[in-house]
Amino acid sequence: MTDMLSYPEVTQLAVPFFIAAILIELAWIVIKGKGGRYETRDAVTSLIMGAGNVASSVLLGFIAYGFFMLLWRITPLDLGTSVWVIALCFVLDDLRYYWVHRFGHRIRWVWASHVNHHSSQHYNLTTALRQTWTGTFTFMMVIRAPLILLGFHPAMVLFCGGLNLIYQFWIHTEAIGRMPKWFEAVMNTPSHHRVHHGRNPRYLDANYAGVFIIWDKMFGTFVPELDAEKPDYGLVRNLGTFNPIRVAFHEWVGIFHDIRQPGLTWQERWKYCVMPPGWSHDGSRDTSEGIKARHLANNPHDKGTPGFERAG
Amino acid sequence: MPLEILLPMVILGIAGITVLLHLLGLSRPVLLANQSAARAAWLDEFPDDPPDRITLSQDHRAALIQTVQGVGVVWPMGADTTARYLIDAQITLTAKGLRIDLPDYTAPRINLTLDTAEADLWPTLLEHPA
Repeated sequence: MTDMLSYPEVTQLAVPFFIAAILIELAWIVIKGKGGRYETRDAVTSLIMGAGNVASSVLLGFIAYGFFMLLWRITPLDLGTSVWVIALCFVLDDLRYYWVHRFGHRIRWVWASHVNHHSSQHYNLTTALRQTWTGTFTFMMVIRAPLILLGFHPAMVLFCGGLNLIYQFWIHTEAIGRMPKWFEAVMNTPSHHRVHHGRNPRYLDANYAGVFIIWDKMFGTFVPELDAEKPDYGLVRNLGTFNPIRVAFHEWVGIFHDIRQPGLTWQERWKYCVMPPGWSHDGSRDTSEGIKARHLANNPHDKGTPGFERAG
Repeated sequence: MPLEILLPMVILGIAGITVLLHLLGLSRPVLLANQSAARAAWLDEFPDDPPDRITLSQDHRAALIQTVQGVGVVWPMGADTTARYLIDAQITLTAKGLRIDLPDYTAPRINLTLDTAEADLWPTLLEHPA
């Protein structure tokens, strides 16, 4: 069984491409006067979050890698390193990404890490780089365990995960409308992912895909972008700060405050960690289901339309 | 990628993009054109709490909002806006207007640029809403 295997650190190698693509998108927007918006402090916050994500990976990456190598020593399976195995690994890791991402929106402990990616009111290529600093603490590395136990080498799994993130970079743009129909049907695209970043009730908790949009279609979370309803980007309650520390940790602080409230049962404290964002013990806040239901109460004609098939 | 290449590239990349955006005039905070814009900005954050009264600042950069739930402020977040109710707010007069400190990790401080008359009036509106 191969212990030592190395692949290029693709996310780091892609940094010059990221910078060049941001400059090209910015030039396009400035010259054409359409295709998105940029604002200095928003973009700088996103870029600092991206740099912090790389730093966090360098500092804490050994925890996940150590866990994966432990699993690799346990498993009797080794699928080897052929191109077909890498391709299969990429597809299965994308399925893993779908579920981690879905948990990231439905379990507050994981949302606390992911929320910063949604905290910009802009949607441009810098938003793609607004990444978490605290992913290690969500323990979502366990979702990768089946891949390692099936015989995919940890280095290959992480390589495929890196390629997945690089793919997702280009879909964070308003400069591209829609791709050809066949592409939109199978792949995640700027249009599909704009929906995912929308705070409109219709678009909440939709389109979790990384590379292949088919997962959302399979698991019932796909919502198409409607020409009649432009996504409104950001959080349900937008931040009042550009401070990267506050952007990175605000939901963790929120959880800490909530679980320390006096008079709660231990079950309620636990639920503040693991229930969907917006859950509260006294019903004083709204989850995405509550927001959708209230929207339908005010706009009953939307019932049954995309994003509201099951709500209400 | 070696750290001695990655680090300068990231730092120079961020710095270069920052300077470029600023030189392109993309650092200007949003203006609230009128009361309707302030109302829309408030409803973006609190869609179920329609404003009863809106006091737009002279420079159109902030608005004091009164609803049945209480008093809040809309203020610019770069090219966009956000809003908060002023619950347990500490209000301090500053040379430029008012500073509002909130016990809110996501919006700890709001610096409002107000003229002298506004800076005198707004705290009284906060304490004695109509």
